[in-house]
Amino acid sequence: MLRRRTFAKGITAAAALPLPAIAQSVGQQGRKGGDVIVAMTAAPPTIDAMATTAQAARNISMHMFESLYTRDEGANPKPELAEGVDIAADGMTYTFKLRGGVKFHNGKTMTSADAKASMERYAKLGGSKDALKAVAAFETPNASTLVLKMGSIFPGLIEAISSPRAPFVIVPEEECGKALGQIGNIGTGPFQFGEYKPDSHVRMTRYDGYAPNTAYDKRDGFTGKKTAYFDSVTIRIMPEAGARTAGLQTGELHVLETLDVAAAKRLKDDKGVKTYTMMPWAFLTLMMNNNWGLTANPAIRKAIQAALEVEEIAAIASDGLYRLDPSWQYPGTNYFPGVDGLDVYMKPNQAKAKAGLAAAGYKGEELQVICDSSIKWHLDSGTVAAQQLRAAGFTVKLNVMDWPTVNAARVKPEGWNLWPLAMGIEPYEGPYNVVGFFAGSLPVQIKPDAVIEDCNKRLATQLKLEDRKAAVKMFQDRLYDQAIAVKVADIGVIQATRSNVMNYAPYRTQRMWDCWFA
Amino acid sequence: MLRLIILRLLAAVPVLLVVSLITFGLTLLVPGDIASEMAGPTATAADVQRVRVELGLDQPPLARMVQWYGGVLRGDLGRSILLNQSVGQAVLERLPVTLSLTFVALALACLIGIPAGLLAAAKARRWPDQVTMASAMVGLSVPDFWLGLVFIWVFGVQLHWLPTGGFVAPSVDFVGWLRSIALPAGSLALTQLGPIARMTRSAALEVAGSDFIRTARAKGLTEPRVFTRHVLAGAMVPILTVVGIGFGLSLGGALVVEQVFSLPGVGRLVIGAVLRRDWPVIQGGLLLTTCIFVLVNLLVDLLYLWVDPRLRETA
Repeated sequence: MLRRRTFAKGITAAAALPLPAIAQSVGQQGRKGGDVIVAMTAAPPTIDAMATTAQAARNISMHMFESLYTRDEGANPKPELAEGVDIAADGMTYTFKLRGGVKFHNGKTMTSADAKASMERYAKLGGSKDALKAVAAFETPNASTLVLKMGSIFPGLIEAISSPRAPFVIVPEEECGKALGQIGNIGTGPFQFGEYKPDSHVRMTRYDGYAPNTAYDKRDGFTGKKTAYFDSVTIRIMPEAGARTAGLQTGELHVLETLDVAAAKRLKDDKGVKTYTMMPWAFLTLMMNNNWGLTANPAIRKAIQAALEVEEIAAIASDGLYRLDPSWQYPGTNYFPGVDGLDVYMKPNQAKAKAGLAAAGYKGEELQVICDSSIKWHLDSGTVAAQQLRAAGFTVKLNVMDWPTVNAARVKPEGWNLWPLAMGIEPYEGPYNVVGFFAGSLPVQIKPDAVIEDCNKRLATQLKLEDRKAAVKMFQDRLYDQAIAVKVADIGVIQATRSNVMNYAPYRTQRMWDCWFA
Repeated sequence: MLRLIILRLLAAVPVLLVVSLITFGLTLLVPGDIASEMAGPTATAADVQRVRVELGLDQPPLARMVQWYGGVLRGDLGRSILLNQSVGQAVLERLPVTLSLTFVALALACLIGIPAGLLAAAKARRWPDQVTMASAMVGLSVPDFWLGLVFIWVFGVQLHWLPTGGFVAPSVDFVGWLRSIALPAGSLALTQLGPIARMTRSAALEVAGSDFIRTARAKGLTEPRVFTRHVLAGAMVPILTVVGIGFGLSLGGALVVEQVFSLPGVGRLVIGAVLRRDWPVIQGGLLLTTCIFVLVNLLVDLLYLWVDPRLRETA
């Protein structure tokens, strides 16, 4: 007989992400009504929830769609449309018991056939479809049970399918044959699709047939007992920061996805506005091309590592909203590998950098820094790092381009050395997509590293958490030892609401359930 | 006149062909594609390639070009990869926003700029002339996006008179439309007002020295009547030219102003498409914008004939 363990609510004593402690007003009575207007900074590339990893798409889709598992307030996997999962002791079978009485926005009751078809669609075109690579078959022994038969062990399956990165949403079976971007927006979430005017807004209305998850007593991350109070949610796409801030001040907007630090300081005495700090929000990093030019040489990479004053970069790029943290997992999370001995990398050592350059036989060759002008974190990090490296004796060429150009350049094996990147959702998810970014046939550092490949393999195959944690520690040590990439700091964002938006709590997206107008 | 219209429309065909070829070439030369945008910033190269294949972007450029021109000849501008709708529909949905912004801005610029230019000409080298021309220079020098932000702060945040962004269709709420368009059109109008006022002044001064104006004064007409009836009529051709150019510039300015005021117009559509490399939208959007520009130029040419009988005879 197989020994089973249940991966359900409360199973792990997983430490929560050190997210802001916002009181959840459990006893407070919500009030129905109103159209809440949220401003977000960018348009989604598509609102096909499975297909894209874009933050703008998540801001919308997490209101309309739900998954078998999702993340709680501390980013731990928790059941949402599933009651729980039984995992066979050999890790080769996952049996999900689905919640009963869950209805799609078209009135149809969700069954395991919908879950199976959704997973199969995801396996074909989902934004994180590699997570299902190890699944050999999806079976539906009855209408409320979905079984995943694994072709090979993948202990990170629940972490992967619970990630909101490109969420593993469950949609009606009839929708699942549709191509990427062609799907109807029919989910099981507390809000249903109203209209989408690209470049303008998305409107969702409260779904009165929504079945709250009674296994919880309150909102919990993306899961929990959700209640929609607003009649509708309008998410407006407003790229201009000044216009967003002005809209919040005048009351035309109720919630901002993000507020500039300078604007937040200016509005601190404005009684009509409340601000919320999300720390950590992202890793600020400097990726290095280990394959080409100067940075193919580990000695030069070490000299770069020594020359950079990460605190200065973080302070300028984030307008002071940062915390120094050399770890490649957030402190307090399951896979946090510790930071012992890493404080040395937090301070620049120009003498070491110059000695390293001399030892490496550096002759003034140009170091190519690429960064985009669309995201302040990237532009400022690239600019400050370039200046610091010049001061250490490097000849640096700073290439500022638009985002798609940089994104195309950075996957090329040649032509760039340093690329600043804020990694938002990946560290929130845990180690899989952080380590995975550095692994595979074309990793971010371009040249695969045998040790990191081994870490990635162990992370994907070791059943014991301790063994997987060891793999993450090994990965982190390797990044520092070989100066494969530079972790600058953890950076935060500020979210803001009008004062009459009650019970709002900041999170990875602006959750418009369980809050209401005063 | 019909011959002129037909000739002008025929002359537009090579213009449109050249514009579309240049646009197509540029979309091929610019690095990055929509697949990387859809796959996200931390997607691997393999992920991006997979999305590229799924979207059919792995086809050779020549095949894509032939397919696109074939569609254009059938009246089909292609399909937006991101918006999941035809480019024609996407542009037509947004055109009322951009056209209403541009026309209101231009109307405001004409309503203020032409009288201001006439006043400056009538009071040439005196203080009304200097004040008007100095104001026109300020309007000409200040960027429209900056003016937009100042207007938002003053009329939206401080005075609470007007909304800071968004668009209301006139068919839904006419007053709401006027309120939503006031600040963006105002900021766009101020940048066009300067050239119109300056051109009106210089054209009016030139006409004011003509024999027929001297005759009008000799007949005892008052100065305001001389300027509004006779000088203005004589100066209309160069004024129309600058208004026509102003329309093109306003269309360009609308791209930026739509961003600042979050107006869902063609400008935002095209900027978004450029930033995300949605090449059918870039191609189709620019082709339709060029068509509008060509048509406005044709309209200006026809207005020349209307305001100047001498041109009618030679047409």
